Amino acid sequence: MKFNVTHYYSSLLYGRVQAVKTFAVLAENVTKEYGEKEVLKKVNLKISKGEFYALMGPNGSGKTTLASILASVKSPTSGKIEIFGKKPEAARKITGYVPQENFSSPLLTGKENLMYFAELLGYSKREAAEIVEGLLKKVGLWEDANKRVSHYSGGMRKRLEVATILFPGLKLLILDEPTTGLDPSARRKFLGLVQELRNEETTILLITHIGADADLASRVGLIDRGLIIAEDQPEKLKRNSGLKNVVNIETSIKNDKVASLLSKFSEKMKVLETETGYRVFTEDVEKATPNIVRSLDENGCKVIRIETAKPSLEDVFFKLTERKVREVD
Amino acid sequence: MLFWTIGWPIIWVLIGSFSFTGNAPTETVAYTRGAISISMMVFGLMTAGMANLPGNIAQDRERGLLTKVMSMPISPWRDFTGRILALLAFSGLSAMLVIAVGLACGARFSFTGINFIASLAFILLIFVASAGIGMLIGTFVKHVHGAIMSGVGLTVVSAALSGVMTPYEFLPSILQNFARIYPISSANSAITYLLVGARYAGYEPISVSQTVPTALIALLLFILGLITYSRFCWKKD
Repeated sequence: MKFNVTHYYSSLLYGRVQAVKTFAVLAENVTKEYGEKEVLKKVNLKISKGEFYALMGPNGSGKTTLASILASVKSPTSGKIEIFGKKPEAARKITGYVPQENFSSPLLTGKENLMYFAELLGYSKREAAEIVEGLLKKVGLWEDANKRVSHYSGGMRKRLEVATILFPGLKLLILDEPTTGLDPSARRKFLGLVQELRNEETTILLITHIGADADLASRVGLIDRGLIIAEDQPEKLKRNSGLKNVVNIETSIKNDKVASLLSKFSEKMKVLETETGYRVFTEDVEKATPNIVRSLDENGCKVIRIETAKPSLEDVFFKLTERKVREVD
Repeated sequence: MLFWTIGWPIIWVLIGSFSFTGNAPTETVAYTRGAISISMMVFGLMTAGMANLPGNIAQDRERGLLTKVMSMPISPWRDFTGRILALLAFSGLSAMLVIAVGLACGARFSFTGINFIASLAFILLIFVASAGIGMLIGTFVKHVHGAIMSGVGLTVVSAALSGVMTPYEFLPSILQNFARIYPISSANSAITYLLVGARYAGYEPISVSQTVPTALIALLLFILGLITYSRFCWKKD
């Protein structure tokens, strides 16, 4: 066999370029416009194979739009997108997408729902039955396989829908706000399932507005108003945010006056409203805590509970944007 | 939707078979019941295509199933074929039930071989035209209730104006013209002509000059619906 030097070096070079270039997800300068409205503004995102990446942001930040572009349900206005080196349309066979809505049919059983997707994917009835059994066992629904989905809890239904992206050959799993609307117990169980899906071959992209969910990821991207504003490992994001201590206060009432009182104790006068009260960012917790309680008490607001906490990803987001990730009542 | 597609036509077969045939000569009662049964079968087919189908499309869109399917390695044609086959099965069931109730009420048909086969072809044309209109509604009316009610409304109004629910000879001349152009009413008359008799059709609906435009318009509606559905429902905005 004749040895071709040019071919040898070019293939070496090509191989190296390929090795550098192939990400599970590669988005370069991706924009998405709806008329005048710019939903994504030159977003850049690189997710390596086997990585668990969480994209966290509030409603309207563009995270779902980005997810649906990656899942090839929507087209970008401009920019480059690659899924394992292919265009999203060409990567449908290896991309599994669970949209935000509950798309499973409530009239069918869990098993029938998965059989439907298996047949859509071209499996024979026999193959489909085998695969579906395995998937139902994997997501912990085998015992409820023959129950109608209308009798499933929210968590069970979400797990069933995740099963639709666990068919063989799928390498990139995109989960769009899967824990929204789940009670804490169902949420934990669901996140346990997501953790189990992590392996070297499977890349997970979790879209969320819940910091505790994003905390599970190996890397988190914070997205706001169509831009990824920060990206790192969860702990590094928290550490580098400059936030040291957070005082979590559950108050008897919530109004502007209470928020204004608390802002005096918080760094840069920033106070984050939560479901049950407020979060105050301070350096000296020991000094601030009694003063906070006294000040609120003097102004007719009872403190139900006060505790110090570590900064969360929601706090980091708030620090960076002065906006809440989640809307509260 | 089961009510509009199966229940409602059956109720009208029951009502029509006994209350609309009161003054009819005895020898024509059974055929009148046959004509009523055919009209109601057609109404059921129209509802299935024009209301059920868009309702299903809108529902799949609303609950994210369409988004999910679009993210999978599936072509719009595969999705479309599945919808049409399901609709065909459902329409067939509706048609058989309505005719069975008609027969139980004493309806009589002349089921000669060629007439029966030709009738099946006209039933298919009704199915095709209704599905085409249904896909147009389902593509443009986004909400489930809106899509269903638009379909039911269009079915009722077009059936009333085109002579599906009213004898052809009772229609004013302008609506008689519409009844001949509208492929569903034209096919309805053809089935009535073939299975019940010429006098129940009101005109000769199986002439070449009538059947060719009926078939062409039905197919045109279907193709239009198909193109619209695959272009806009599956459009990556």
